[in-house]
Amino acid sequence: MINELLIILFAPLVAGVLAWALDIKGIREAIGIIGAALPLAMLAKLYSQVLDEAINYSITISGFTLQFQLNSMSWYFAAIASLVGLAMAFGMASTSKSSYEWLFALMSYTGVLGVFLSQDFVGFFLFWELMTFASFMMVLKRNRHESLKYFVLSVIGAYAMLIAIGMLYAKTGALDFASIRQALYIDAALGTITTRETAIIFALFLTAFGVKAGAFPLHVWVPGAYSETDQSYTAFFSGALSKAGAYGFLLLYILMGYKLYATLGTFHNHLVFAYIIAWIGALTVVIASFLAVLQEDIRKLFAYSSVGQVGYILLAIGTGTALGFSGALFHVLSHAVFKGLFWLVTAAIILQTGKTQFKDMGGLAEKMPFTFAMSLIAVLSLAGIPPMAGFASKWLIYEAAIQAHMPLVAGAIFLGSALAFAYVVRFLYAVWFGQRPSDLEDVKEAPLPLLIGMAILAIPNVLFGVAPGIVTDYINKMLGGEIVGGNYYKLVTPTGTYNALLVTVALVLGLAIAGLIYIYGAKVRKIPVTNTYQSGNPVTEEFNLSIRKNFYRPLAEALAFWLRHSFDRFYERVAGMAEDFADWLREGFYNGNVQSYSWYLAIVLLILALWGVL
Amino acid sequence: MFDWKLVLEVIGMIIYATFMGFIFMGIERKVMARIQRRVGPPIYQPIIDTLKLLGKKESVSHGLIYDFGPVFALGASIAALLFIPLGNFQLFSANADLIVVAYLLEVPMLGTMLGAMSSGNPYSALGVQRGLLTMVAMQLPYGLALIALVQHWGTFKLSDIVALQQAHGWSITVPALFLAMIVFDIVFQAMLGLEPFDIASAPAEISMGPMVEYGGKHAALLFTQHAVQLFAETAFFAVLFLGGASNLLELLIKQLAVLFIAIFVASIYPRFTIDQAAKFFWKWPTILGIIAVLLTM
Repeated sequence: MINELLIILFAPLVAGVLAWALDIKGIREAIGIIGAALPLAMLAKLYSQVLDEAINYSITISGFTLQFQLNSMSWYFAAIASLVGLAMAFGMASTSKSSYEWLFALMSYTGVLGVFLSQDFVGFFLFWELMTFASFMMVLKRNRHESLKYFVLSVIGAYAMLIAIGMLYAKTGALDFASIRQALYIDAALGTITTRETAIIFALFLTAFGVKAGAFPLHVWVPGAYSETDQSYTAFFSGALSKAGAYGFLLLYILMGYKLYATLGTFHNHLVFAYIIAWIGALTVVIASFLAVLQEDIRKLFAYSSVGQVGYILLAIGTGTALGFSGALFHVLSHAVFKGLFWLVTAAIILQTGKTQFKDMGGLAEKMPFTFAMSLIAVLSLAGIPPMAGFASKWLIYEAAIQAHMPLVAGAIFLGSALAFAYVVRFLYAVWFGQRPSDLEDVKEAPLPLLIGMAILAIPNVLFGVAPGIVTDYINKMLGGEIVGGNYYKLVTPTGTYNALLVTVALVLGLAIAGLIYIYGAKVRKIPVTNTYQSGNPVTEEFNLSIRKNFYRPLAEALAFWLRHSFDRFYERVAGMAEDFADWLREGFYNGNVQSYSWYLAIVLLILALWGVL
Repeated sequence: MFDWKLVLEVIGMIIYATFMGFIFMGIERKVMARIQRRVGPPIYQPIIDTLKLLGKKESVSHGLIYDFGPVFALGASIAALLFIPLGNFQLFSANADLIVVAYLLEVPMLGTMLGAMSSGNPYSALGVQRGLLTMVAMQLPYGLALIALVQHWGTFKLSDIVALQQAHGWSITVPALFLAMIVFDIVFQAMLGLEPFDIASAPAEISMGPMVEYGGKHAALLFTQHAVQLFAETAFFAVLFLGGASNLLELLIKQLAVLFIAIFVASIYPRFTIDQAAKFFWKWPTILGIIAVLLTM
């Protein structure tokens, strides 16, 4: 009998290979969607079983044993990934015509699931690399420069992780999570691993997971890589793949938490290592959100926004309290659903208009009403408007950060939320409202598969918004305790309370009152967008009255000093210097002169002779 | 069982808040006029204005979202109001805490902006841009003031904050929270859209910004929304820093005190430009807010 975990793991990969090999229009898409849906179906089937006991499976290949386990935490992450994965497959059925993209998109899907299900570092690292490789291939197809940037940073992350795993193996002699955890727990008392080594291992893991999560200052690959792939795939890239980084940080807690606490100690009642993560998260939130506000390209805006939102997750993990973990885990879900939805909306816009810059768009709400409605749901959720999933998770993070007595970190959330508000409104205005450029007159609604993909992600936004208790209830079971109380509709923490259903009711009541005033008011005459107040100057149709470019220019002016510094440009400069240096080396040595080549040979032989090889 | 008492309270409170909100708007105009040595309109003028707007025979519309914007804004304002403990009326306040109310008070802005953006008017768009940038600028000190408050009282629940203040004295009697109150009061000018932070509407520059296209019943809805919002925000201030209230009269006196301070500040300061406002908010109020937060840790 084939194990369920194997189906979950390899269904996408097999479907991807089949789709690539067959490459027949129609069948390719059908296979892809089935392959993407299978893991979700299997996970749904195993839901009740997982809560009772974890499901294990192991493969032995040439001496290495790969262990997989579906426990309550990996189920949660895998379910989110496969939900976004299914939506991605529907989206790609509309946007992608290439079997190459189907292969690598589904391959990275398998990679992500493998990362979540692995129970030892061998499998974890293998699937981590599979995921990186597949997503790199997706970026490579569109843009070489951006893919190289992603590649270099990923390689740095991968080496960091490999060294850290090696150091752990050298110290504990184990590669599976359970043994490492136990060994480190015992070692916290014995102290055979020195403070310096622990700090190095921690820093290496921080680099490895930080690259994938896009944490500041390792976020520079994100805007380019997220923009330069098929946008339906970016829904998965940003919605699920970046969560592997967040999962890594959680893993760090599970495996090394006690040891890190014992060696690094506390700072003003905060765990030092957690405090570092919290500040990385806070900086990521603020910096990425500011940059998102100032973007002129729809893809760049959402890429920076993804970085910022993952910053929230890191920040919540960094509070180090049970409530913080609840908030982080909930935000993993809500970010996956609202940002996945945003990317599918972006995919629809780009597919139907062929434009990516805000300056070329406008007035599309009438042309694509369903897509517009979906983007409105995503906007409400991202901006944290109650009752949406985005608010429930953000609310938990607020409470966690303030209760953990991290006021400045909590201040960063306030600032980040206002910035999020600003950039989503900018997106709404530039794409959906205002005058429509004449070349967009015949834009059509997005194709059906893409709309299905959007609906798959829109429903959880509303469902888990009105009934956030469903999620917190599961998280309680996962973390083993009544951390967030209440029922399906009401969240109760020791110091606060949020009744999502009642907020919905109050909002509906308010809307009903306002709606009654509106309905019983005077009748309405519809006029075109161009018929507006112009201070007495009549304006003809060909004037553009919408502000599409540099919408937040005053902010850019207020921030001029800070915007002069950029890690992206710094890295580019370092890369440039490395390239120049290599060029100089090459030109210096390979100068085409036979005499100098013979000299090199002589010198090398001399060195070898002195070393005693010859 | 259906709670009829609560339903009656809710309906009564919505009517009361709307009425008092309009009176507050009237007071604002009257006091401002007196400071400028004018006679000023009668105190009930905003009610007459709104009724006149509602009585118009026809309104123009730029589409569905243009209609939905004001409706959503008013609805959200009413929703926010119901979660604030108002004197002896607790309404729904046991079901939502400080963070939820702070968010609900910002939702109406999204409604107004949705409508304004869909009107396609460049002044509206400028108003939206300025409104959002003001919000970005003020959010950091605003957040710090709220954090200081929560850290001192140790709870997010508004009703608990009121109860604690009645037992241990008002928030402003605590030195650190007095600082927080100063910060909150500066931010409050921006929340109410008064000088020196009336950047979003700026009547003399961009003709009321987001509101420029609205007339007829849409404008009436926005006026009503402003009234409810004014009432809710002044009550929020009173609940957070002035010890709440045990009855509506006490609450009203505190709300008026808050309102008068806001009007006095508004009538002596000119308007900031948006980048000046951002730089200002990120300097003094933020520094004060950080001090308040550190003192309450």
